[in-house]
Amino acid sequence: MDLTRQTAVPDHGWTQHYDIVQEMGDCYATVGDYVQAQDCYERAAMLAPDEAGPYLGTGVIALQQGKLADAEIAFRVALRLDARCSKALAGLAMISQQQKNWQSAFDLYLKSLELDGDNLTALLGLFQVSCQMGSFARVIEYLNTYLNLHPADTAVMFCLATLYLKERQPDKARRILKDIVALEPDNTDAKNLLEEAENRISIPA
Amino acid sequence: MTVEKKTIQRPKTPGRGPLVTVLISTYNRPAYLAEALDSIFRQTWPNFEIILTRDGGLPVRDVVSRFNDSRLTFLDRDQNRGLPYSFNEALARAKGDYVCYLGDDDKFFPHHIETLLRAISQNPDYGVVYGDLYKAHCRVLPDGRRRVLAKNVEISRDFDRMLMFQFNHALHVSLMHRRDLLDKAGRYNESLNVLIDWDLTRRLCFFTDFLHVPIVTGEYYAPVGDCDRISVQRRKNVNDYIRNLLTIRTTRPPKPWPCVQDSAIIVLASRLDGALEQMLRDIWSHSFYPYRLFVPLTAQERQRFQSCVPNLVPVEVRPEDSLPVRLNKMLQQVDAEWTVFLPVGIRIPPDEAIYIERSLYPLLCGHQTNLACQIVESDDTYFGAAISTDTLRKAIARHPALDPHQALMAAGIPIRKPEFKEYPFQFDNLLSGADMCQLDGQWTRAARVYDYMAEHHGNAVWMRTRQANAELQAGHYAHAARTIAEVNRIRPTVASLMIQARAEKKNKRPLVAAGLYRQAAGILDGQSTGYLPAAADILIPQTQSNTSSVQPVETCVWT
Repeated sequence: MDLTRQTAVPDHGWTQHYDIVQEMGDCYATVGDYVQAQDCYERAAMLAPDEAGPYLGTGVIALQQGKLADAEIAFRVALRLDARCSKALAGLAMISQQQKNWQSAFDLYLKSLELDGDNLTALLGLFQVSCQMGSFARVIEYLNTYLNLHPADTAVMFCLATLYLKERQPDKARRILKDIVALEPDNTDAKNLLEEAENRISIPA
Repeated sequence: MTVEKKTIQRPKTPGRGPLVTVLISTYNRPAYLAEALDSIFRQTWPNFEIILTRDGGLPVRDVVSRFNDSRLTFLDRDQNRGLPYSFNEALARAKGDYVCYLGDDDKFFPHHIETLLRAISQNPDYGVVYGDLYKAHCRVLPDGRRRVLAKNVEISRDFDRMLMFQFNHALHVSLMHRRDLLDKAGRYNESLNVLIDWDLTRRLCFFTDFLHVPIVTGEYYAPVGDCDRISVQRRKNVNDYIRNLLTIRTTRPPKPWPCVQDSAIIVLASRLDGALEQMLRDIWSHSFYPYRLFVPLTAQERQRFQSCVPNLVPVEVRPEDSLPVRLNKMLQQVDAEWTVFLPVGIRIPPDEAIYIERSLYPLLCGHQTNLACQIVESDDTYFGAAISTDTLRKAIARHPALDPHQALMAAGIPIRKPEFKEYPFQFDNLLSGADMCQLDGQWTRAARVYDYMAEHHGNAVWMRTRQANAELQAGHYAHAARTIAEVNRIRPTVASLMIQARAEKKNKRPLVAAGLYRQAAGILDGQSTGYLPAAADILIPQTQSNTSSVQPVETCVWT
């Protein structure tokens, strides 16, 4: 999860210290150094007690270590500090997903996407949960919205194509998969799925 | 005079090498004073004296007694007389070859004095040198400690004399100057209560060039929220602030001025009326280049004439004198190199920050004595221009019956309006353009502007930092990392390290990024200053000879 607050001009304003330790924490979290990351997030929380970021970071590393209860507390604190925090909702959704609470995960991912249609974690999470639940209509809508903004995101395109196939719309799936192969000629998964889509088109239902 | 090139060698004990006087005035900040004093005693250059003045307020004797050092002189005064008075009081006792200043809640980094001293020693044509400072935004905790939230180098601007007349870009705490320059420029103006540092730097720039060394050598603190700084509080009184501003902008130190050519503004008026009086006020509020203002008045008009406009020279004329005669009489009293003549009625746009300077600046830069540079707002009906005083005198002498426009044409003097590219503050114009690009999200274009500015307009470290940030925002991560790595090789700051860290993070090198963030955090925590001694050779310029008309400096040899 990218928690970076993009300060447009870093030699202005007074959130620099917070931004630095927070972003440093994200770097350590990325390479799996959770001790250093946690230390950074604690310092960040001290510097900006009203910011949700450090609690999000704490939640992410707890989640990655399988400490679901700790992660849930951290995400809930983040949400209390920022009620419109899409990433905290996505974090809670991931916890529900790991607990196989599909409906709760589905609802939380949807809420997360309503706040930020760009949240890729929520989008892919929603896709996974939908596959478990067999309910695809809302997901297709969100994936399409996301692709309008990021038209060359092949990972999301692949998810959408998969859903179209599950929804028995192989024409749409084929169109998307052809685009993926055009963008990434070596994408074997896309090629295989394209073959399947074409097979379904050639075999009348 | 040949200038012997010297390098400066750090003496092991006080009493060797040039003596530097550090002035501090304190008022009601005993908690931070100890840190400020401590930062001076940690200087790598030991030959300094500190003159600390308590300008009334809370007692600080306990703090002072902690520093049992003969280099500290303490002037303990109960009455609050203001900063200019305190500095003058201290300067009267100063013995240093050079003077520098520290706020009672600010800090020098250990290399402050040595860096500036080295710079001024290697460049003996300069009488003033200044470095860069961090503005440390902080939150003041209930126990009085300061939690640093950010350290920004907000001003890192190469010296520009024209800009110094309009805006102070050499912060007081970053400054070191030769003490003897004050004999010419004068001491602190005790009638001012805000911007007193600018008043001094502005006057100093009549006598010497300033050398900018883009090395961060200290920090000053700015609490987030309501700031207790006296200078900040005083700025809230707008009328008083403007009074100070206009006083500073019209201050003329005693001549001769080796570095500034004087100007005269001649107002072509046929009578004293409301329009003339308004015009005098408009000129006062619109002009920042040094000038004296010449106004034709009859004996009768002079009796009833009252004006608060400074530097005004009433020139006695007869009621029946024509405009050319009036002009001639005023010209006879002008002792400036350049003259600007303006007819009453010429438009002075209320929002225009630069007025006569747009026409004067091309002449000053090019030493163009055979050109009349028309005022931008002037036309054939209201004709005004800037011109060399000698050239104008000659034209008027040859054609005494003609008005100045006709006289100049008859004398064959080329007349033209200045082009936009000839206006002063081209650097600032470009900077504004780049800012606009950024606001529009055109980061790639902004990066190109900064690149051009770094190549052609100086301020390279600052511009490269901005270029790298623009490249980062544009998504050119590899470029950004390369550009800012060059900056960080010589002058890493919190912001520049942060830019490189963000670029490296985007380049999928999180551990490299974490290391850079850690360096930046170290500066914020006060564990390091980011100073790289080896880079000082690159950042401190070494001039063989200064091209401007600065008086050579008598230097002493030291080892």
